[in-house]
Amino acid sequence: MESEDYRISFFKPTTQQAKKNRNLIIKLFIAWAVAIFGFQVLLKIIEKPVPEEALITFSSAWENIESGEATQSDYKAAARSMIQVMGKITIKPGDYAALRDGTGWILSEVYPEDELPDLQQDVQYFNQLKEQITSLRDEDYLETKELIISKAAPALGIGEGTLLAQLLAIGLDDNLQIFSEENREKIPGIMSLYLTHNRSVLTDTIFLGFPFHYFYSAVFLLMFFIGLCWIYCHKTDKLHAKLNFLEKVD
Amino acid sequence: MKKLSLLIFSLIPLVASASNDVTQLEGSFKVGPAIILIFILSLFILVGLLFRAKDTTDYYAAGRRISRVGSGMAIASNWMSAASFLGMAALMYGTGYHGLSYVVGWTGGYVLLLILMAGQIRRYGKYTAADFIGDRYYSKTLRTIGAVIAILISIAYAVGQFGGIGLMFKWVMGIEYNLAVIIGGSVVLAYTLISGMLGVTKNMQIQYVIIISSFMIPLFLLTYKFDYFWLVPQIGYGSAVQDIVEGIQISEKSGLMNSLGHHFAIVPSPEYAMPWDPSTGQTFFQWMAIAFSLMIGTAGLPHVIQRFYVVPKARDARWSVVWGLFFICLLYWSAPVYSALGTILSANPEVGKLSPDAIVVYTAQLGNINPLIVGLLAAGGVSAAFSTTSGLLVAGSSAFAHDLYVKVINPMARPKTQMKVARIGTLLMAVIITVIAMVDLALIAQLVAIAFSMAGCTIFPLFLLGIWWSGSNRAGAKAGLIVGGTVTLISLTYLVGARAGWTLPYNDFITYYLGAWYFAWIGAPLAIAANIIVSKLTDETPLEIRQFLIEKVHS
Repeated sequence: MESEDYRISFFKPTTQQAKKNRNLIIKLFIAWAVAIFGFQVLLKIIEKPVPEEALITFSSAWENIESGEATQSDYKAAARSMIQVMGKITIKPGDYAALRDGTGWILSEVYPEDELPDLQQDVQYFNQLKEQITSLRDEDYLETKELIISKAAPALGIGEGTLLAQLLAIGLDDNLQIFSEENREKIPGIMSLYLTHNRSVLTDTIFLGFPFHYFYSAVFLLMFFIGLCWIYCHKTDKLHAKLNFLEKVD
Repeated sequence: MKKLSLLIFSLIPLVASASNDVTQLEGSFKVGPAIILIFILSLFILVGLLFRAKDTTDYYAAGRRISRVGSGMAIASNWMSAASFLGMAALMYGTGYHGLSYVVGWTGGYVLLLILMAGQIRRYGKYTAADFIGDRYYSKTLRTIGAVIAILISIAYAVGQFGGIGLMFKWVMGIEYNLAVIIGGSVVLAYTLISGMLGVTKNMQIQYVIIISSFMIPLFLLTYKFDYFWLVPQIGYGSAVQDIVEGIQISEKSGLMNSLGHHFAIVPSPEYAMPWDPSTGQTFFQWMAIAFSLMIGTAGLPHVIQRFYVVPKARDARWSVVWGLFFICLLYWSAPVYSALGTILSANPEVGKLSPDAIVVYTAQLGNINPLIVGLLAAGGVSAAFSTTSGLLVAGSSAFAHDLYVKVINPMARPKTQMKVARIGTLLMAVIITVIAMVDLALIAQLVAIAFSMAGCTIFPLFLLGIWWSGSNRAGAKAGLIVGGTVTLISLTYLVGARAGWTLPYNDFITYYLGAWYFAWIGAPLAIAANIIVSKLTDETPLEIRQFLIEKVHS
């Protein structure tokens, strides 16, 4: 055999088996690439930044607060939206601190002026307890938390038995009236960052309880990969049988 | 037997008395989990001793006596590392949908591995990745470089594993992280040295069963307890994901609490599931780059490739990938369940900042699962890290003893000397890995992703072109390695620089586009291109290599 004959290339198969194998690989590769990357590209193309309801409420309320035309309900609505962001799983410590400042300040604006020092004292005591307790079931700690909730939550239009009420009590800062200019400026950006999400029909369709795109990437793709591998092995076995191809055992 | 029964019965009150200590998330010695951990580790060593390597063939390739399903389990066990067991849920806990790029990357890579390499690698018939590189590219220098790369990749990969072992030992023993890394590292080293590759392979099947059982059992309990479809938790948690997106009010699931007394509630958090959410700081480009890098890295990892040598023939190598992927997917379908439930259970800020890498265990704890089952889960995490680490140490020491010592330094070395050198190599690697793991550079899965990108930039192009194109020659391989190595070096320099607080030129640009977890997205294509261009411009591959490729590998 001439040395020229001993050249192999995936794209220039020289035998029938190699040709069939190449074609199979190309088909599976395309299916693989489209399933993974094609879907994500589609997701990217059709997505739109969609604000949460809380951002829409906050934006209009904050505009009024900034222009000095805010009503009590504007303050309360803004605070509720901010507390919701304080409960976000991805919240960064700096952003949390700015929001807790803002929430405390709004509370001080809507709370009866003569009762504010009492509330302030309770909050300070609670924050001290937070540092001292060894168990979250500490009775004094739980009682003080409930006390703060009973005073502060209704002032912001929050039900006492709700998650927002819990987040409010945990989040209040020692000095309710301090709200730095720097934090004040940061807050609209923070709210927009945490309350805007990329959504589309693929993220909003529910399939087996999942958002569809999540099911596709977390569950379906893995099944698909196993399926592709099975098809390759099965087809290769069939091809080898057809061509009487016997493998040696080393 | 009587003595053993007596011992077991005498331990029961001790274990029972330890039931409550696990409800404390951190900081105390947990007797129950410690006993389970010691029992499982003893089992590993016992099995390792029973099947220990008798000669070098056994040590490197387990005598090629492993069945397809067994090899699939060994592939899965070898693969299911601390990054899969602990790190996967950690990534999704922190960055939501972004974490799925790792799930997709670490499973999709097996399709590439199968259709492009598995059977051909088996037919080529070499023991190690460096063996293949040295033979295919007829170069002692490339063999040496291949061996060094294999060692470096094994080290990078194993650092994350040691981190996982350290975290779990820390959790169980209530000791400091660094001490936990040293203790855990010493145990895995002792085990690897004793058993060798044959023991590890047999052991890996047992380890797979332990890993997957310990991972699954708490899932059924958690989904049952928190009112999701528990018969198939891997589907049932879909409603939990949707609950996170829409939020759960206290009144909706009243009476359901975490172990700290918080309601099973969360504010609406679409950022958990929505793609590349701005608040996670992750982008579409990063999702794609990570998935791609992990996939080609999978097809270039020495310790994964090496597993194909332990099956009798190429057909078995192919089917072992299907089985291996199936066994791996069982865990990868399950990891997001921990992340979703952990997100809800730790949603109350009072829970405090939890280490994401231990979220699997924390989720079970916060879900008030029986402490002994939580202990089993932690033992599963250690087992996952163990199985991978021992495989890595073997791959690294194989490269050290076989490819560096025998092939380059002392070709006349006797098998006994070779074994001794392999063991010295294992010891050296373990020491280096322990030291790096103590620095705590990044999340476990991210550390492991570095190894994948390194493999994707260096070994993957050599195997891909080496198998499929006879025109790829020694000069091309060297050029490809230089390019892939340079991209790797740049990315890792910027990673270390960032950790050290240096501001390097084009810092933002490089750290974004050549991120340490995904630099292979560009490094691998560039390395392949360099290999092709230089091969075309230089002398053709020798006839005997081309003949071997046609007659042995592709016929």
